[in-house]
Amino acid sequence: MVGLEIGTSKICVVVGESRPDGTIKILGVGQAPSRGVRKGEIVDFETAMKCVHEAVVDAEQKSDVMIRSVYVAAAGSHIQSFNNRGCVLLPEDRDEIDDQDIEDVKISAREVSIPAPNAFLHSIIQHYHVDGQDGVLSPVGMLGQKLEADFHIIHGVRTRIQNTIRCVKELPLDVEDVVFSALASAQVVLTQHQKNLGALVIDIGGGTTDYILYVDGAVKQSGVLAVGGDHVTNDVSMGLRIPMARAEKLKIEEGSCILGNCLPGETILLKDDSGFAGKEIERETLNTIVHMRVGEVFELLKRTLEEESFINYTGAGIFITGGCSLLNGIDHLAGEIFEMPAHVAHAQTMSGLTSAFENPQFSTAIGLIKYAQAVQADRPRGRGIGRIFGKFFSGMR
Amino acid sequence: MIQLSKNYSLPERQEEIIPIKVVGVGGAGSNALDRIVLDGLERADLVAINTDVQSLASSVAAHKVQIGRAVTRGLGTGGDPELGYQAAIESADEIRQALVDARLIFICAGLGGGTGSGAAPVVAQLAREAGSLVIVFATLPFSFEGKRRAVQAQETLSRLNEIANAVICFENDRMGDMVAPKAGIHQAFAVADMTISQSARSIVNLIQRPGLIRIGFDDLFAALRSQNGRCLFGFGESDSDNRAHDALTQALKNPLMDRGRMLAEAAHVLVQVAGGPGMTLSEVEILMQELGKHVRDNTQILFGTAVDGRMGNRLSVTIISSLAAEEEIAPQSEFVASEPIQEPPPPIWEEPQPSEPPAKIDILSGRRGDTDSSRGEPDPIAEESPAGDLIPFQQPAPEETPPPPLPSPAIKKPVAMPRLIVPKQKPLPVKEPKPAKEKYAQAKQEVLQFEPVTRGRFEKSEPTIVEGQDLDVPTFLRKNIRVK
Repeated sequence: MVGLEIGTSKICVVVGESRPDGTIKILGVGQAPSRGVRKGEIVDFETAMKCVHEAVVDAEQKSDVMIRSVYVAAAGSHIQSFNNRGCVLLPEDRDEIDDQDIEDVKISAREVSIPAPNAFLHSIIQHYHVDGQDGVLSPVGMLGQKLEADFHIIHGVRTRIQNTIRCVKELPLDVEDVVFSALASAQVVLTQHQKNLGALVIDIGGGTTDYILYVDGAVKQSGVLAVGGDHVTNDVSMGLRIPMARAEKLKIEEGSCILGNCLPGETILLKDDSGFAGKEIERETLNTIVHMRVGEVFELLKRTLEEESFINYTGAGIFITGGCSLLNGIDHLAGEIFEMPAHVAHAQTMSGLTSAFENPQFSTAIGLIKYAQAVQADRPRGRGIGRIFGKFFSGMR
Repeated sequence: MIQLSKNYSLPERQEEIIPIKVVGVGGAGSNALDRIVLDGLERADLVAINTDVQSLASSVAAHKVQIGRAVTRGLGTGGDPELGYQAAIESADEIRQALVDARLIFICAGLGGGTGSGAAPVVAQLAREAGSLVIVFATLPFSFEGKRRAVQAQETLSRLNEIANAVICFENDRMGDMVAPKAGIHQAFAVADMTISQSARSIVNLIQRPGLIRIGFDDLFAALRSQNGRCLFGFGESDSDNRAHDALTQALKNPLMDRGRMLAEAAHVLVQVAGGPGMTLSEVEILMQELGKHVRDNTQILFGTAVDGRMGNRLSVTIISSLAAEEEIAPQSEFVASEPIQEPPPPIWEEPQPSEPPAKIDILSGRRGDTDSSRGEPDPIAEESPAGDLIPFQQPAPEETPPPPLPSPAIKKPVAMPRLIVPKQKPLPVKEPKPAKEKYAQAKQEVLQFEPVTRGRFEKSEPTIVEGQDLDVPTFLRKNIRVK
């Protein structure tokens, strides 16, 4: 199983295999710096394709596996979500709910208007209701007349998702499935227990910040904010008037989201390319810029999430992942703003290359494998898989 | 803000107290006036002028003038500036009496309505005739109040610009930035009043506070003089550990300041730093250094400082400046500023009761003659006022074509009845002959527009707009936080 994430700053390919005992072993990780991608979406097709190719070749070499098909993560500000309830009435002569009814209720839940150019990415089951009985997890075999189901529906602009798929297909690789990146990340960042308690996963990547909120084991809210680590770098670059590459390095090495943590007048000496002492920068200035941006992202997320009340039911707290989560103090800042415990998290419960899954940068790509595993486990049970749009995937929680 | 304590005894210089009047014209004007009273403005007479008896009755001003008894019969003008104008003309004598004996007159008016738009220019005119220096605080209506009001306001504003020595204009729309989005609407209006009040008080303090390095009328007008210009004003006060920095930041945060960006274009910047006895030289130094980063090298900084026991351990910064109107960015008074621009006008003593219109022209033109000869450049304000105030008034009498600078006003005044709407092209012919612009053309430096180019590497990508903000623009820029 291969997960491919086309990120704004890097493209990474994770090769893993599913063990008979249900665990996943990471065989290799290939990555390549990404170009031609902005805010999670491809803007320069040719360049992006080359980068994807590089990353795939890298992964093939490292894992010694020939890659034929991949699971691809989708991001971008066009991805939206909402909750909807579907309802079917069983025929008079039958009162046992069967698989077909489950399919029907899913179809009925999708009978809502999404903007014309959009396509469904996921419909994730939250809960079933049988004859008004709430919180049914698996209604097949139960008796009832009326089956209702709450779905969390994630959709995005069809053509933009297709761009990503085309980019991979040109290589040529098969695309098994397209997965919303935060959903993929959540698969490995959260344990089932945390999902049940309620948890918010914030995946801050280079170009986008994706979030997904689990309450009671089910996805309640998700979305994308097209602001990410690139913006932090851009801010630093503009605020301190240094080149982007320098700003990126400075952000990674010295940046912190915490204010007032350094001595007044403490400076960082920037070395220029030749190693000579260059510009001096006040640490507090750098931190202020980073703090403002990251703080704003969290504030925006908080406001978005507070439009519905689910955020109040997150017992396990916040899990921050993605490349930008490596910023110093980001968990403190998130904790402060959301007023709940926040952790920087990486993929759990894997075996194989430790360095790979312990890095939050790879959460999404590894998550794709976990997702693939769950889907493939589902497949023998005859769930409709393999259609890129309009997937009927419900086993995943 | 400024603490008052009655038992404080002024140090020496007491004789320099300048008689000041604050006049509120119209509903918005009296609101602002009330705010000024509530905030406490010492040593200034407050005059409320309105057509609406009810509103006048509720005003806290000591001196109230009801205008237009015949025209409006004690009601408001119903948003008709024509009525406001007629009302003011009708009660010109009363207004004149109310304004007498002040060297500095502040006029507060909300433009866009009837009384404010109609009467304020007349009041300003009368105040000038009385020989006072006139500073107008005008608020422009919110844009949601409609185009018509905006147009009325703009017309009045341009007239006030011609008449008054200085116009400090507050755009209500900008006040919105200072009010939390969820705050009540009354708060949005209150903010405008408070800003006016703060400005008036700080200017009064500026002039009256006995200073180590005094700032007088001359400095004030050097900073404020510009034709149809935009007034920059900032006031900040702080008592924190880092009070010099904080006060300046606060001053620059003022909606009229645009975070100090505007300062870069100003030719003269007046700065007064006031503090208690604990104010140190290094604080002032730090502050001025920081301010220096906001202005161009060739900007003249008129600096004043004062130690005032009442300030306690607070430190306040007042920044006043003005930008020339866009078409004439070249600072016209490069050399004028090095010497006193305009003597505080003497006429009060020479002529305590200028009751007849002809008198004013004499005063103005006479004074202009003096200053001209001493400076070699016509004072633009003085030059404009005779023409500016008369042309529009005589509009309805077609037999009189726009007169050369010195018409015989005795004839004009009585004819001057209706039509406030100034045809746009009217003031222009007067403006054009203004000399000596090219001379300073080299000072005209286009300031690079900073705003639209700040998306950096996201320039070509789809903008991320959330809650009306372009998130690609660095947060610290959007939040107006100075990082260096």
